[in-house]
Amino acid sequence: MAARADVVLVGIGAVGGILASELTAAGLKVVGLERGESPPYSDYALKDAVHAIVRHALHDSARHEPIARRDKEGENTRRRPVSSPTNQVGGALNRWTGQSNRFAPGDFKVFTQEIASGLAERAGASLEGYNVADWPIGYDDLEPYYTKYEYEMGITGADGENPFAGPRSKRFPMPPLRDTAKFVLFRDACRNLGYHPYRTPNGILSQRYKPPMPYAQGIPERPGCVYCGHCNNYGCHVHAKASTLYTHVPAALDSGNLDLRTRCKVFRINTSPDGKVTGVSYFDPAGTVQEQRASVVILGGYLYENVRLLLLSRSEASVHASGLGNTHGLVGQHIMAHEDVRVSGIFDDQIINGFIGPGSVGGRIDDFNSNNFDHTKLGFIRGATIGTSGSGTPIERYNIVPRGMPRWGADYKKYLTRYYTRSFDLNMQPETLPHKDNYVDLHPTECDAWGIPLPRVTFSLHENEQRMHRFLAGEGEKIMQATGAAKVWSAFSKRGSRWAGGTRMGTDPSNSVVNDKCQVHGIDNLFVMGASVFPTMAGYPPTATVAALTYRAADFIRSQNALFH
Amino acid sequence: MPDVCKAPAAADALLEEERFQALSSGEAKIVEAAASRIFPTTDTPGAAEAGVVHYIDRTLKEIYPKQIASYREGCAALERNAKETFGRQFTELAPDQQDKILSAFEKGTASGLADASEFFALLRKHTMEGMFCEPMYGGNRGLVGWRLVGFPGQQFGYEDPYINRVVDLEPIAHEMPFSQQEALDGRKS
Ligand SMILES: Cc1cc2nc3c(=O)[nH]c(=O)nc-3n(C[C@H](O)[C@H](O)[C@H](O)COP(=O)(O)OP(=O)(O)OC[C@H]3O[C@@H](n4cnc5c(N)ncnc54)[C@H](O)[C@@H]3O)c2cc1C
Ligand code: SF4
Repeated sequence: MAARADVVLVGIGAVGGILASELTAAGLKVVGLERGESPPYSDYALKDAVHAIVRHALHDSARHEPIARRDKEGENTRRRPVSSPTNQVGGALNRWTGQSNRFAPGDFKVFTQEIASGLAERAGASLEGYNVADWPIGYDDLEPYYTKYEYEMGITGADGENPFAGPRSKRFPMPPLRDTAKFVLFRDACRNLGYHPYRTPNGILSQRYKPPMPYAQGIPERPGCVYCGHCNNYGCHVHAKASTLYTHVPAALDSGNLDLRTRCKVFRINTSPDGKVTGVSYFDPAGTVQEQRASVVILGGYLYENVRLLLLSRSEASVHASGLGNTHGLVGQHIMAHEDVRVSGIFDDQIINGFIGPGSVGGRIDDFNSNNFDHTKLGFIRGATIGTSGSGTPIERYNIVPRGMPRWGADYKKYLTRYYTRSFDLNMQPETLPHKDNYVDLHPTECDAWGIPLPRVTFSLHENEQRMHRFLAGEGEKIMQATGAAKVWSAFSKRGSRWAGGTRMGTDPSNSVVNDKCQVHGIDNLFVMGASVFPTMAGYPPTATVAALTYRAADFIRSQNALFH
Repeated sequence: MPDVCKAPAAADALLEEERFQALSSGEAKIVEAAASRIFPTTDTPGAAEAGVVHYIDRTLKEIYPKQIASYREGCAALERNAKETFGRQFTELAPDQQDKILSAFEKGTASGLADASEFFALLRKHTMEGMFCEPMYGGNRGLVGWRLVGFPGQQFGYEDPYINRVVDLEPIAHEMPFSQQEALDGRKS
């Protein structure tokens, strides 16, 4: 059996990569177990839509790790190769879009500010079945860690452009990416309508960058984006798009304190009879069961896997009969996901060339996000950020067709020929609130290639989201009309993305799984990190907040000598 | 319209010179005829010139062998419907007659195939992929698909944002199949 480590990390994605750098820098001996490979350049940097998108589900990194998905209890499940995590060192950051907003101060206090305050009632919102809780921390607690994330990853943005954003202690480390045709149209339309467009903060370098002191000096210098446009869902061939694969993992390896083991799949967290965590069991690349003991175990396997491991690690004989951290049956509850609203427009007098540059380069408004607008009588609370998207190679865009337009034949061909370069979309990330009918548990009969029960995800939108989406589609269409588009239409995605919840954080163990340091209630040496700890998910993508929470928890862990004797 | 968008020589020649591996030659002709209605040759190239049928054949052989049966049944059903409705083979029908048959498939009202609309959806998906894929997958020959819509392929990057301007770059395709790139990395396949 291998020597006991100070820390074992389960998964080396965004969370695991940051932790590896943070904890090894403090001299801790860290074992990193990642079920995927450390992908070769030719794999993640490939600019090929058939390989990266059409056939992604067939790749080793996806097909061995399906989830079982259904909308409602009682339905049969379908296997889904999940788009995230990506099952590689670097995790989903090897393919992410890069949009990098911080949450706004109000996003942490939805219960107090919108439900207890009576605002939901004035809005006429129907919140039956929802179970909304405040975060145990606020924006100010995370602000220094957002800054650290922005300086280590290299986040671009324009200071002071978004009046709804929280206060910043430091400027963005870099100016925004260059303007695009769709941004100019969007910005002008929003200004005309009285909204507040800002350039999207991005995890994509606008120029050559290396983190300055006092940030981790082991993070290599990287070049700026060259606007190749094969970005969202692809890896970056010049390493301008941040991934721990080439930021934090090299820094951690340099320290000599990281023992990184790839193709090692953790299937159980081990505990002693008194309930303390002693380490993990995993399959090594040969499929042999191995054990790694450690003083501290940290799960960073993304929410499906974080939940699954806690549930799989139940032990009848101990206090953990229903799973780790699951005394109150909360593991897997309160999951959330954005189901995006898309508004598309085509132009007769504008050439957009949306295939140039990252999908996330462009602009957004927060005028319809959070509690930034008057919800009186709208029938729902919360909202979404609205912004430009619509990059993509022809394979990614041939299905974006106005209602009423045939989808094949000569007229369809004429449409695609004329408008492929003359179109763009608005996307939105509408906040979903935790609802009792949305959860992850273990599939009772279906297993993965290792014979381990699949995570079963039961999820659909409820009244608050449905009303919100209809409202947002209408506002989005108004904005698109104001850009001068010749034709405007909207569509609702039914595929959840940017999942959150399942191990939510809170102060009260009867209503949460981890505390504000991501430490499992009642098990001092077990931590769970990632968006699974979010009590609410905001109308923004998660990664900046995931990273800030991770840095904050790392600070705490490094200060707890008692964990390591 | 730039020269590159003019339809090149007949695609029949392409069909003749390459043997098919998943489809029979009869099925290949039906698939090609159907794909040519989904994305027709007009004053510009379509599915025939892009070699979509070769993309489909290779995809079936190499990646989705389980779908060969769907194509087998689908082609047979197209043929049957052509005979029942117009008394002739699908490939011999006039374009508007072929369209009628394909519409019935799309709507799921064609006779003799339970999941006709599913087959149509698969055929359409593969046709569009074959129009716009990297040529190394068998379709998008001469980069006709990309030239048609104005997509310049695998540019390393763009120095100019091309705001309200046509991108006047010669399209670039991958030069090396993915399998060879893996070998370069020294990674086992
Ligand atoms: C296409 C795409 C676009 C995105 N765009 C954005 C965006 O614009 N903005 C944004 O904020 N976020 C975006 N995201 C989300 C972002 O990538 C995630 O928030 C982030 O990667 C989460 O980090 P994580 O460490 O929690 O999980 P991941 O990065 O998914 O890493 C988890 C790692 O754990 C490993 N693992 C899991 N289970 C085990 C196990 N049992 N044993 C060993 N290893 C295990 C996995 O293989 C994986 O490598 C996007 C994601 C995708 C896929
Ligand atoms: S668009 Fe920029 S960040 Fe995205 S992959 Fe290309 S070079 Fe990298």
